[in-house]
Amino acid sequence: MSIEAINEQLLRSVGIGVALFSRSDLTLEFSNDVFESWFEDSNPGDGIDAIFPTLDLDNMLTRVQEDGKYSTELKFRKKRRTIVVAQIFSLADIGGQQLLVLECQNITRIRELESMIESYSNMVERNAREIQREKDQVEKLLLNIMPRAAYEEYRDFGVVAPQRLESVSVLVLEFSNFNENVNTLPPASLVSELNELYSSFDRIGDQLECERIRSTGDSYRCMAGMQDPNVDHLQSVANAATRFIRYLNRRNESANTKWLCRIGIGTGSVVGSVVGNQKYVYDIFGAAVNAAVSARTHASEMEVLLADEAVGDLGGRLQRLDATTEAAREQSLIALADI
Amino acid sequence: MSAESLYVKYGGFGKVNRIVMAFYDKLLDSDEIGPYFDDIDMPRMIDHQTKFIASLLGGPAAFTDEQLGNAHARLAVTHGHFDELKVILQSTLSEHGVTSDDSALVLNAIEARRAVIVKE
Repeated sequence: MSIEAINEQLLRSVGIGVALFSRSDLTLEFSNDVFESWFEDSNPGDGIDAIFPTLDLDNMLTRVQEDGKYSTELKFRKKRRTIVVAQIFSLADIGGQQLLVLECQNITRIRELESMIESYSNMVERNAREIQREKDQVEKLLLNIMPRAAYEEYRDFGVVAPQRLESVSVLVLEFSNFNENVNTLPPASLVSELNELYSSFDRIGDQLECERIRSTGDSYRCMAGMQDPNVDHLQSVANAATRFIRYLNRRNESANTKWLCRIGIGTGSVVGSVVGNQKYVYDIFGAAVNAAVSARTHASEMEVLLADEAVGDLGGRLQRLDATTEAAREQSLIALADI
Repeated sequence: MSAESLYVKYGGFGKVNRIVMAFYDKLLDSDEIGPYFDDIDMPRMIDHQTKFIASLLGGPAAFTDEQLGNAHARLAVTHGHFDELKVILQSTLSEHGVTSDDSALVLNAIEARRAVIVKE
């Protein structure tokens, strides 16, 4: 077998499609079986533009001349399958004849796999976004029932260890006309009212570094000093208390339903912990809570009371007043108000 | 049916992708069902099959009956074509090592959607 015959045999047997075009008139001189299986209608003598009508001929010739080769992709349908073929054009001089060599590789599977990866990535990314949304929702719910520090401990370790906090301040608010409003308001309106009130208390508290501990229908408890013991926690809850009163007073001026409250403040130590295994409730117990509850019991409507000895520097915005009732004064409680 | 476990049981997407590609090939080669895909471009077709297989095995995709109904509303799928799809799917799953019990679970899940997809 001659070398030429061997070469032709080789070209015919390789797994890629090969076609040779005359450089001068760009007509097909030779093609192998793989090429012919894809481009069944091509015959020797056909012009390259007839075989590949979408080929950018001028660009291909320029690139081949300047860079030595030109790569492109060709998509076409075979039966109902989309075939993608990578084409590389280059020049060759064989026995004094200038030829344009075209190598074609079937990259259909690669493109199909890329499409599948894209589809799968989109699914996974969409799921990841949904999971993140659900996580945010869970975080929001958990932050409703426990302070952030406790939540972070729970998130990282799966438990919240009971913690003694030596010096904190606790605010206990109770609506004095709660039963009256419960009896007169439709249930949906009552819940909506409480939602608005407690959300507003949360917002005011947030600004003053107070954290809601819990709200149970007619009462709302928050505390300061848990996150950062160096913060003047008494000043935080005292300011929160007087702003709660101010907020309610303003709201009562225009709202149909009036809300009246009593507030007690206590300072001292507490133990904070999540109570319950399945239904979590974060709660605090101890001297500061007892003092706040006791002060609230003696408070008149829209009055903030706290033990006199607890009061230190309250800052410029608050003033001390005598408690309105004799009983409160006997307990050495004093009232606080905005200046 | 614990669909989630089938997806995990058969190796997650790293393995399930082979089922997707084989199923895609068989659908295109089918003279019965193939013509439905004559005018659908490749990325869209692949996207459909990726989601279809993932949802059947409990992967990260799920379709409501309403979505399935809308997707097939204009295709006039016949009972014969639906049956053919089940045959193709069954052979694909079997060729990829899915046990006949698990395969039956998947096919039952598709059968339960027959009324949503076939409008004859």
